[in-house]
This record gives sequence, C-alpha cells and structure tokens, in this order.
Amino acid sequence: MLRIVASSARSAARRATTSAAAAPSLLGRSLPAARSYHSRVIDHYESPRNVGSLPKNDIDVGTGLVGAPACGDVMKLQIRVDENGIISDVKFKTFGCGSAIASSSYMTERVKGLSLEEAGKIKNTEIAKELSLPPVKLHCSMLAEDAIRSAIRDYQSKRAAMKDPKKAKGFIDVTQSVITGETVATAHPGET
Amino acid sequence: MLVSPRRHYATPPPQDKVSDLPIGDYHAIADHTMEYLLERLEEVLDEVGDPSYEVDYSSGVLTLKLGHHGTYVINKQPPNKQIWLSSPHSGPKRYDLSFPKRDWVYLRDDRSLGELLDDELGETLDAEGFELEIGKEVQRTVTEHFKLPPLVGSLS
Repeated sequence: MLRIVASSARSAARRATTSAAAAPSLLGRSLPAARSYHSRVIDHYESPRNVGSLPKNDIDVGTGLVGAPACGDVMKLQIRVDENGIISDVKFKTFGCGSAIASSSYMTERVKGLSLEEAGKIKNTEIAKELSLPPVKLHCSMLAEDAIRSAIRDYQSKRAAMKDPKKAKGFIDVTQSVITGETVATAHPGET
Repeated sequence: MLVSPRRHYATPPPQDKVSDLPIGDYHAIADHTMEYLLERLEEVLDEVGDPSYEVDYSSGVLTLKLGHHGTYVINKQPPNKQIWLSSPHSGPKRYDLSFPKRDWVYLRDDRSLGELLDDELGETLDAEGFELEIGKEVQRTVTEHFKLPPLVGSLS
C-alpha cells in the first residue's frame, strides 16, 4: 500500500514540475488522498467467515489450493458436498493481503448452500464489485474464483476415483486365491 | 492402525508451475517491454490530449488512468516471471513469455498483451486500427536477446 501511495505522489509531483505551460489548476491541485481498504474488506478481515479446515481425506470434501507464497497470496478453500450435490459446509485459509482474505472469505459465504454447478459459475467480477476492489487487487478476486473451481475439480475427481476403485490414489489391491493360497498385491499409487 | 488426524488436515504445497525462463532474462525482456509500453502510451496520451488521462511507471508498476473509463495497472511479477494486467474493462490477466510466439501471452485464451491493449484502448479512445505494436517490439527483443533465428511468418 505504501508503494502505491508513493508512486501517485511522485506522479503528481512530476506533473507539477513538467507542466509549467499547462493550465494553472494543475499546479494548484493537492496530492491524492492515501488509498485505504474499503469498509467491506476491513469487515471480512476483522471478522472473517468460515475460517478453518475440513478433513481433506473425507470422501465428500473437495480441496482447492491456489497461489504461491512468493507472490504473496495462497488460498486454500474446502467444500463439503452432501448427497444432493449441494455444498453443505465450506472452510478457508488464506495467506495474503486484506483483499485476498476478504475475497476468499466472501467466496465461502457465497457458495454455502449452492450446487456445484452454481458455485462454479461465480465470477471474479462479482467479488471485485461486492468488495469495491481497486484495480491492483482484481488479481485477488481471480484467485478466489480459481480456488472454488479447484475445490470443485478436486471433489469431482475423488468421486470419479470412487466409482472406479482401481483409479483411487494410494490404493493397493490385494487378492488371495482360495485354492492355491497365493497372494497377489497390486499397487495403484495414482498421480499427484 | 491409528492414523493421526492431523495428517488429514495438513496442507500440501500448491501446484504452481513457474516457467523455466532464467530470472535475468525475464527481467531483461520484461523491463524492455514495460519501458516500450510506457513510451508508446505517453505518445498516445500526448496525441489524445485529454488532461484527465495520465500514465505513470515506477518500481515495475505502470498505471494508466483514463478518466471515467477507469484505470489499467500493468506490472512485473518476478516470482512468477509474468506480467500482470488489471483492466477496468476485462479484469485481471497474467501473461507468460511464450517462445513459440515470442510474445507475452495469456495462456487461458492464447491472446497476447499487445492484442488486448490494442483492442480495448482502440475502443476506449475510439481509434480505428489502433496499434501500440507491442507484439512486434517484444518479438524483436526476444529474437535479439536470445540470438534466435528469425521467426517464420513473423509480425513484421
């Protein structure tokens, strides 16, 4: 935030010194006020909704993990889906700026009670509008959109593996012949 | 067999594919792209002459204010070796340096940074056939920097 304030101050100063021939009003203009977080972002930051974790190995839980620490933003969003395909519970944990925390917090509120299809349709533009995110923070809302889609994909791939037990990860198929007593073990490590 | 419940909650590292581009090369190409972009935008704004429009570049962040049309923020993102863009019209995008195209490309829609800016700014400024020629300049820079053979079917 400091960096943004500094650059707009510098640009105002540059305009003042280089535009001597410009209209007098430019020279007399005061520096822009320091940008602060929108009240809705502060609200999510101070009272985040649905912080926490769900057991990632539960068969009805989908885990979405997006971002990278080097960029300053990591979001983990987990959904629990009931037998009707409705998101019954949702938890998040975010490492990042206030806008990233607010975007993921808002996303968890938004998807609770929705079907997977409806949840997958939520666009980053909605989050950005709701939280009045400034241009430089639009990337946080995109990350939240990626996080819910990642969680949905994870849940769906778990269900697909369930239907075909041989596709499940970390699964070892053990059979023993009743006649010969011979045991055969086949490991299915699966992909990461 | 008792499995500690803590393992079921543990967070694995996020799957983030960062390009193999050496960081020194990234900075060289990205710096040149940003400086060229600034130059061209300054030219364009001088031509347009609207006092509410301004462009500023510092610490790797380019801010283009177009009055009530909104603000573009284009910045270098070294940890990802990307250029990030935020458009008031189409939202956020992240550009990777594509070697087949020798240009900054958004992998999800395969469009280049230059293409997006030409389209959107052309419309905003109501200028038909508007071209910043970013793609051409990046292509030239990449070809020279890596001493590559000329690109077949290049933009020039």
